[in-house]
Amino acid sequence: MGGDDAPGAVLEGARLAVARDPELDLLLVGTLGAAASALPARTRLVEASESIGMDEDPARAVRSKPDASVSVVHRLVRDGHADAAVSLGSTGATLAAAVLRLGRLTPRPAVAVIVPAVAGPVVLLDAGGSLEPTAEQLLQHAVLGAAYAEVALGIADPAVGLLNVGSEPGKGDTLRKQAFELLAAAPIRFVGNVEGHDVALGEKADVIVADGFTGNVLLKGMEGATARAGRTDSPSAALLLGVDGISVVGHGAGSPEDVAACIALAVTIVRQGLMPRLRARVAVA
Amino acid sequence: MTDAELLEVLRAAVATVLEIDPLTVTRGTRFDIDLRADSLALVEIVEILEQDVTRRRPGFRMNDEDLDALVTIGDAVDYALARLRA
Repeated sequence: MGGDDAPGAVLEGARLAVARDPELDLLLVGTLGAAASALPARTRLVEASESIGMDEDPARAVRSKPDASVSVVHRLVRDGHADAAVSLGSTGATLAAAVLRLGRLTPRPAVAVIVPAVAGPVVLLDAGGSLEPTAEQLLQHAVLGAAYAEVALGIADPAVGLLNVGSEPGKGDTLRKQAFELLAAAPIRFVGNVEGHDVALGEKADVIVADGFTGNVLLKGMEGATARAGRTDSPSAALLLGVDGISVVGHGAGSPEDVAACIALAVTIVRQGLMPRLRARVAVA
Repeated sequence: MTDAELLEVLRAAVATVLEIDPLTVTRGTRFDIDLRADSLALVEIVEILEQDVTRRRPGFRMNDEDLDALVTIGDAVDYALARLRA
């Protein structure tokens, strides 16, 4: 569970999710109190008495609070009691729990979001997992992002672009120039540099690779612009790409529909078999 | 466990977590400046060390409040040795 409106928003989101998917079973991890008597169908409660505050060091808190709900939910996945973890609230704590309890596929996992672009959805990564990656880590993100797009967007050979300050080859800082060379030689369909507006337009690339700092700023800028336009279709769920298991994180202030969207994303990823695909791709990245 | 064995465990842990050549890791290597290990990486490295040592000394654990004092790889080796001999 978790999130600003837990357990109410989580319970209602769970109710929506199981109503829409008759094959879905849920484990709600946390403390429900009186609400435990009103669980939706095919939903079970796993008690977890602790929580991690936004002001705590995420890694130290995960280590020192084994009964925090974010720790428990990832142990459930690690131990085979659940196929995916869905967490609401602190992305830092979720990332720490996922890394420490599921393990890493890459040194720096990325936060991958699906942006509803004009020409069709685009996978944007990294949206905040690794603020200062190396060029090699951007390469790994590109390879994993392409695999994710195959599964989540149903695109057989996704076009991968490198977010940059211009579209011409040779643009950008040292990191971007180094990453360009690596991506051009990688086993992906690299279409070159793309610019910020290409994330919203979606015409040039299905997957757009950025460092976590830039990706996070861009994503939040887009969310603000979307809200100003009176729209509500900003991404509500993100996948932690590069941990050895499925971990989806949603906004702490998410509505029940946002919670249901996070659960639906996790279900899609599980059923489409993302993890074996990722493990195979990271071996050759 | 000996000083040398603990150093090898830490080198392997650093190599796994940070993808760094273990041969470049010495007792004087600093977690922050040389390895650029953030809090998460440090906890991962500590837990890998604990898992390895626990196989020989069940229940071995490094105190959370002592982790901030581990500036170098050598500090971690010395701390673990002291805990094992306590």
